[in-house]
Amino acid sequence: MKEISTHIDLVKEALEEWLSSENASLQESKEKTISEGLFSLQDVEHQLSVFRKNLASNDIEQWIDRAGLNDQLNARGQKVLCLHAGNLPLVGFQTAVGTILAGADYYGKLSQKDPYLLASFLDEVKKQNPNQEIQFSTDLESFRNLEADKVVFAGSDESVPEVKEKIREFNAATSSAKYIVRTAKYSVCFLGKVNTANIKKLTEAMLRYGGKGCRSVAAVVSEHKLDKVKGELEKSIQEYWKENPQHKKPGPNLRYKYAYNYALDKSQLWLQDFLIQESEGMPGSDFTVNWMQGDLKKIEQLKQRYGAKIQSIYTAGKKVSGFDVEDLKYAQSPFLYWKPDGMDTIEQLIEESS
Amino acid sequence: MLSHNFIFDNSIPFKEKARRVFELQKEHNLVYHRFCKAMGSEEIASVKDIPLLPIEAFKEAEIVTPKKENGELPDVWFQSSGTSRMVRSKHFISDPGLYRGSILKGMNQFYDLEDYVIWAYTPRYNENPHSSLIWMLRTLIEEDHTRLSKFLELDKPLDEKSLKEITKSGKKLMLFGAAFGFLDLIEMADQKLPPDTIVMETGGMKTHRLEISKVELHQKLAKGFGLPKSQIHSEYGMTELLSQAYSFGDEWFACVPWMNVSIRDPKNPMKEVDFGEEGLIGIIDLANLYSCSFMLTGDKGIHREDGKFQVLGRWNPKNLRGCNFLIERD
Repeated sequence: MKEISTHIDLVKEALEEWLSSENASLQESKEKTISEGLFSLQDVEHQLSVFRKNLASNDIEQWIDRAGLNDQLNARGQKVLCLHAGNLPLVGFQTAVGTILAGADYYGKLSQKDPYLLASFLDEVKKQNPNQEIQFSTDLESFRNLEADKVVFAGSDESVPEVKEKIREFNAATSSAKYIVRTAKYSVCFLGKVNTANIKKLTEAMLRYGGKGCRSVAAVVSEHKLDKVKGELEKSIQEYWKENPQHKKPGPNLRYKYAYNYALDKSQLWLQDFLIQESEGMPGSDFTVNWMQGDLKKIEQLKQRYGAKIQSIYTAGKKVSGFDVEDLKYAQSPFLYWKPDGMDTIEQLIEESS
Repeated sequence: MLSHNFIFDNSIPFKEKARRVFELQKEHNLVYHRFCKAMGSEEIASVKDIPLLPIEAFKEAEIVTPKKENGELPDVWFQSSGTSRMVRSKHFISDPGLYRGSILKGMNQFYDLEDYVIWAYTPRYNENPHSSLIWMLRTLIEEDHTRLSKFLELDKPLDEKSLKEITKSGKKLMLFGAAFGFLDLIEMADQKLPPDTIVMETGGMKTHRLEISKVELHQKLAKGFGLPKSQIHSEYGMTELLSQAYSFGDEWFACVPWMNVSIRDPKNPMKEVDFGEEGLIGIIDLANLYSCSFMLTGDKGIHREDGKFQVLGRWNPKNLRGCNFLIERD
């Protein structure tokens, strides 16, 4: 086996090659994804542009340093089964890259809702480094008797037992396999100064991928009431939609929510395909963002109430101490080494493995 | 204004009554008026087009038809159970006589009340005057002129002597109580009841987070009270309703004639799901003439062709926000 630094270089080369505009495999996977209506062109392009920026900013090197990956501490010899969900394009990309960088054998159950994009990247890695064990399929049964050492997936309280049961049934992981399960669902924005730049950032953070990602802003805490910000917010959203038409539309239940708010004279911004409403806590449905008037105490209350379900707290125009916060501009453009559920994928994989 | 008799008159088709109540509430209930307007449902072609107001409205607003011009609210109101910190539903009762009528006529649809003595293993009226269930039990108890009907003392086994008196009177016992109360009662002592007793379980499993299924609960109650399971019945009611549904030894509830239950698609509550498919329980309760008769609950249920329905607990919204891997979808 090559030294880990050589291995990392090969992964980087694969990434560079895959992300180059001439890469035929990526182009083909993009075309298939768009033509089959799986995701919008704008969302796919956005995701790819983020990865390109990550690469140009040496995020890989930083990630390796942060995780402490080296020749002694790595995941070589481990079989890692990754189950990728498909709520947004390339949602499993970071996990796949982390697993491969760590030196583990990668087995990926790709989402039926996003079967082409990640596959084209994995093909590129195989091409660059034929010794790297990479297998993937959209069918979990393909991993029957795999007996993986670690399983990584994102789930909810309801889905985790069912997924574990299926893995047991297929003997896809050993009985002592470590499960790295992510359950975070929401991100919160603590909005400070209301100005055009911050509203624009907030718009992107709420609406990119239809607001479906765990990094998408699901709740806003601001010193202002929604009514005060509504006009500027609506203008910004309409501008955003001109460039990024919303790909998936909500069901009629969203109108139901709007009608209920209207009946009770609650403050809301109704946009037909999206609803921003003044309401406490996290929204109970997709395509909805809750707006709360409040300060840091409100953020603390949300953290206490939702705990691990909160992925990130962002700020814009507000200095915050005492919380682990991210700048709102990174909500939909995270570093490659961002931590889903506060966990570093590489750290998790190399733990107890050296 | 429509009268009680109109609501309870079985010679008028349910659909006609529902339409007229809809017209009334759409015009004179401010909250429901606004709801219909926002839904674009001011004009309807059939009863199926009537929009159901989410039941949490009773937690957040005063749902009264019509509201007095001076804003004065009725003196009688019911409140859902819960702690003082919880936001609880409040149902204002403009005409207690209508509720009384619904209780008595409703019970008589399924039981001959003349034959029964009512015992309530629940708090007394003066301990909880804003409970719609206890108000109902007090009404049933007051209706029994033998004076054998009563609220029982909690945390005490049933009195053998009183049980014998009921048998001697030629009447049958109908014992009301919440699931957790009954479980306490059967654990307390050997509580074998007269063989023709009906045990009426009134719910409360959600509130007390009982981790057993309804079927298991009824099996336990049948065994504990020494009765066949067919005599363990259930009542489905809530603060926001002035009518009740009943089940008779199985899990299927039947409605009184002025009430209708449909199972709605959570993605589109204007649409009913197919028989046997899970969805949100939607209710039309015409006895809610002076509040709102058209409600969408947060309960999960299924229904069948004869109008009977099952309650399967709370509906957990399938909020797919976040990267949730699901076997069937991914």
